[in-house]
Amino acid sequence: MMRVTIDNLTFGYDYRTVLKNVSFKLNSGDFLAVVGNNGSGKSTLVKCILGINKVPNNKILLDDIDINLYKSFINIGYVPQKFDDFNYEFPITVNEILMASKYSKITEAEKLELLDKIGILEIQNENINNLSGGQLQRVFIVRSLMNNPKLLILDKPTVGVDHDNVKNFYKTVQELNASGITIILITHNISESKDMFTHVLSIIDGEANFRALDRGEKEDD
Amino acid sequence: MTNILTNASFFESLFKYEFLQYALITGIIIGFLAPLIGSFVVIRRLSFIADTLSHFSLAGLSIGLYIIHVLGYTFISDPIYLGIIFSVIGAIFIEYLRGIYSNYKEISMPIVLSLGTALSAIFISLGEDYSSLVFNYLFGSILTVTFDFVILILIVSIIVVVLIVVFYREMVIISFDQSYARLLGIKVRSFQLITTLILAVVVSLSIETVGVLLVSSLMIIPVAAAMKVGKSFKNTLFIAIMFSEVSTIGGLWASYHINIPSGATIVLINIMILLIVVFYKRIFTRKNLAKKQSEIILNEKMK
Repeated sequence: MMRVTIDNLTFGYDYRTVLKNVSFKLNSGDFLAVVGNNGSGKSTLVKCILGINKVPNNKILLDDIDINLYKSFINIGYVPQKFDDFNYEFPITVNEILMASKYSKITEAEKLELLDKIGILEIQNENINNLSGGQLQRVFIVRSLMNNPKLLILDKPTVGVDHDNVKNFYKTVQELNASGITIILITHNISESKDMFTHVLSIIDGEANFRALDRGEKEDD
Repeated sequence: MTNILTNASFFESLFKYEFLQYALITGIIIGFLAPLIGSFVVIRRLSFIADTLSHFSLAGLSIGLYIIHVLGYTFISDPIYLGIIFSVIGAIFIEYLRGIYSNYKEISMPIVLSLGTALSAIFISLGEDYSSLVFNYLFGSILTVTFDFVILILIVSIIVVVLIVVFYREMVIISFDQSYARLLGIKVRSFQLITTLILAVVVSLSIETVGVLLVSSLMIIPVAAAMKVGKSFKNTLFIAIMFSEVSTIGGLWASYHINIPSGATIVLINIMILLIVVFYKRIFTRKNLAKKQSEIILNEKMK
């Protein structure tokens, strides 16, 4: 549902250039897999798309509008790679996190359906401090879907999730993608989602190679 | 046991003396407000901020005493107003310094705390006839609160509760996950500034109850205890407020009967509750673990 255009983006921290002349264009409903070694610039790219890293005007366009004109990124669902930013230890339940993060008109029934799909329905009233790493990961996946995103950015979402739930998870991602949501998936394990993505961006030392896959009907998007 | 001065019980005297009624009402309101704000402070890992602000507030109180008692100006009726203003200035100063040292945000606290303490020391030394008042500010003097103060604190508490109810969702997201709050388009810095300002006002008003040196304990200790047993966020807030009220009312009652300072008594009861909760939790967790282990062993044997 969201078009993403990146036009010759170069980005760096202080004296180090992380991304060099990255360009690509995603149409609504495209599925991009971003691959590359650790430190190649994948997460930096995500931070640029989310407005966390400030980029010059007209380098990143979402639905043809410059990213710097956006006041909120509520239409983007984001599952971070690590949850270092989250303050643990203070008691809060799964439901309380989800309800606080909910800004769209998603109904209670839709929320329960999401929880069920991702496989955490039975722990919705659990204190998050009692959850395993994999369960917590799934809580953040549901959170990213609470506001009916048009673009979903998943930063290595299946690290620490068991085999069955990885399968369930990709099934849900595929359904979401089929409903028109544009997906950007950062992954180390491209085989997990190999039948799903329409484009691949491989980043090596900040230099990106973007290519569309020949997949019949998906190419028409 | 009865009070050596009156020979009447706490509750008998409560009906007789207005000052005791004011003290109890003030205690109950602060006992409610302090842990409510304190919870958000604890989640953001800013536990030290209350201490910093109370010390900075003391600078305002000392300057107020100096203006009233040494310079003889009476345009400030009560130093508490200067205390509130200083607490707010301290809060803004902290947020400013936190912006400058973005990777060492905690540096802001000792800087503001030292400035507050230094100013206090200078202005306390300039006057001679108000050392007992300074003592009250340091350790609290809930028995001397006036009707005006009760009204002031009531108004502040209503404002705080309304703000928390209206912005509950934003405050929860910002406290737990700032990055996500930014993504949702919440103005994180503005919200943080407002929360810190509210905190500043509540800190300076709490000084009346337990004093500068013990203020942060009212905000932090009940929350620290509740965190160990709370099942959800709201449940933890509720338990923290309960612990806080028990220690405030219990502290007033005990200090009346044993004739010891009320602020210190309130803090000691708070600490007692914390220790009981921590020990209870440890024993409970161990028992649960042992039970689970024996269940697993039993299941293995059955196989």
